[in-house]
Amino acid sequence: MSLLTMILKMGEGLGKTCAIFFLTLLFSLPLGMVVALLRMSKNKVISAITRFFINILRGTPLMLQLLAVTYGPYYLFGISVSRNKLIPVVIAFAINYAAYFAEIYRGGIESIPTGQYEAAEVLGYSRFQTFMRIILPQVVKRIMPSITNEVVTLVKDTSLAFTVSYQEMFTIGKQIANSQTSFLPFVVAGVFYYIFNLIVDRVMGRVEKRLNYYK
Amino acid sequence: MSENNTKASRESCPILEIKGLQKSFNDLAVLRDISLSVEPGNVVSIIGPSGSGKSTLLRCAAFLETAEKGDILYDGKYALRDGVYAEKAELNRFRTLFGMVFQNFNLFPHYSVMKNICEPPILRGEIKAEVEERALGLLKKMGLEGRENAYPYQLSGGQQQRVAIARALALNPEILFFDEPTSALDPELTGEVLKVIRQLADDHMTMVVVTHEMAFARAISNRVIFMDGGYIIEEGDPEEVFGNPKKERTKRFLSNYNQ
Repeated sequence: MSLLTMILKMGEGLGKTCAIFFLTLLFSLPLGMVVALLRMSKNKVISAITRFFINILRGTPLMLQLLAVTYGPYYLFGISVSRNKLIPVVIAFAINYAAYFAEIYRGGIESIPTGQYEAAEVLGYSRFQTFMRIILPQVVKRIMPSITNEVVTLVKDTSLAFTVSYQEMFTIGKQIANSQTSFLPFVVAGVFYYIFNLIVDRVMGRVEKRLNYYK
Repeated sequence: MSENNTKASRESCPILEIKGLQKSFNDLAVLRDISLSVEPGNVVSIIGPSGSGKSTLLRCAAFLETAEKGDILYDGKYALRDGVYAEKAELNRFRTLFGMVFQNFNLFPHYSVMKNICEPPILRGEIKAEVEERALGLLKKMGLEGRENAYPYQLSGGQQQRVAIARALALNPEILFFDEPTSALDPELTGEVLKVIRQLADDHMTMVVVTHEMAFARAISNRVIFMDGGYIIEEGDPEEVFGNPKKERTKRFLSNYNQ
C-alpha cells in the first residue's frame, strides 16, 4: 500500500475523529459547568456525591469508561450494543471531560475575589445577573489556558475510540498497520494529530487574545 | 419616584437608624451593642483601631454581614427588627437607598469605566441615554472627563476609587457608605479621593465614612464616632471628640495621631 492510499484511507476516518472532538466539547463544556455548580453546592450531600463522581471519572482510565459505556448496557441489562458507536463514545468522552472541566471551572470561580460579589450585590445585581455578567466572563478569561490544555489532550484522546472499534482515524490506521505489518500508519496518525493541534492552538490563541482587552 | 417620598420623610426621621446591633464571628463578638442614627445631609465618620468593628458595622448596614440582634431602619422602616431581617424583596428595596464604596474599589475589571457606572441603573430599568448622560456628568465631577472608555487596569488607584464613587452615585442613593476608601492608596492618591468626598459633603450628601484619616474626618464630619472592641466609646461633634475627648481610650487612640 502506498503512503498516499494510507493517508487517504485514514483521512476518511478524520470526519469521525472530528465528530468525537466537537460533540464532546459541545456537551462537556456546559455539562462541566453544571457539575461545578453542584460540586460547590451549599448542600453538603449534593456536593459530596458530585465530588465522588468527579473522583471516579478522573481516577479511572478513560479507556475503561469507554468500554463500560459501550458494552456495559449489554452485560448488565442484555441491551444489544448499538451499531452506531458514536453515541456511547461521545457519552463516555463528554462525561469524562465534564469532570475535568468542572474542576477547572470551580478553580476559576473560586479565584474571583468576594469583593466582586459584594459590589454587585450592593449595586442591585440579582444572583443570576452577578454570575452571568460579572463572574463568568472573568472566570472564562482566567481558565482559558487550562481549557486549552484539555482541548489539546482531547484531540489525542479521540484515538482511544479504537478500544471499541469505532472507525475513526486512529482505528483505521491501527488496522492498516496490522494488515500491512507497517509502522508507517502510526507516523501518519502522529502527523494528523500534530496538525490538528496546531489548528487548535491557533484558534485558542486567538480567543485568548480577544479576552486580553482587560487585565 | 422615590425622590418625593424621601423628601417628605426626610423632615421626620433619620435616613439610617441602628439600635442595639450585635454581631459575632463564631465566638468573637465584633459588635456588642451599637446604636447610631444618621440624619439627612449629615456626614458621620467612624474612627477607631483596627478590629474595633467599624467596617463590620458598615457592612451590617449594607446587608453584607448578617447581624444577630438589634434593629436597622431605613427611612423609619425596619430592615432588621429584633435580629430578624425583612423579606428578600423588601431588603432589595432598601438596597436601592444606599451606595457603598469599598477599600479595594471592587470595580468590574472587564467593564469600561462607562459600563461600570451605567450597567446597574440600566439593569434597574432606567433609560440608557439618560443614565449615560448622568454618568458623564458624574465623571466630570470626579475629575475623570475623557476616561469613560478606559478599563480599570488603565487607571491609578485614586482614579479607580473615584470611578467607584461615581458608580455608587449613579444609582442616586440617599446615603453613601465609605469603607476605608483611601486605605489602599498612597498619600498623593488619597488626597484626590478625599477631595471628591469633601465635595460631596459640601453638596450635603448623606454619608457614613469609616476612615483612618483623622484630619479629614475632623474637617468634613458633622459627627464623629469612636469605636473600640465592638462598642461605641465616644461620639459627638468632631471638635469635641478630637479637640477634647472625654474618655481615656479615645485620648490614647488620638494621641497617636496628634503628634
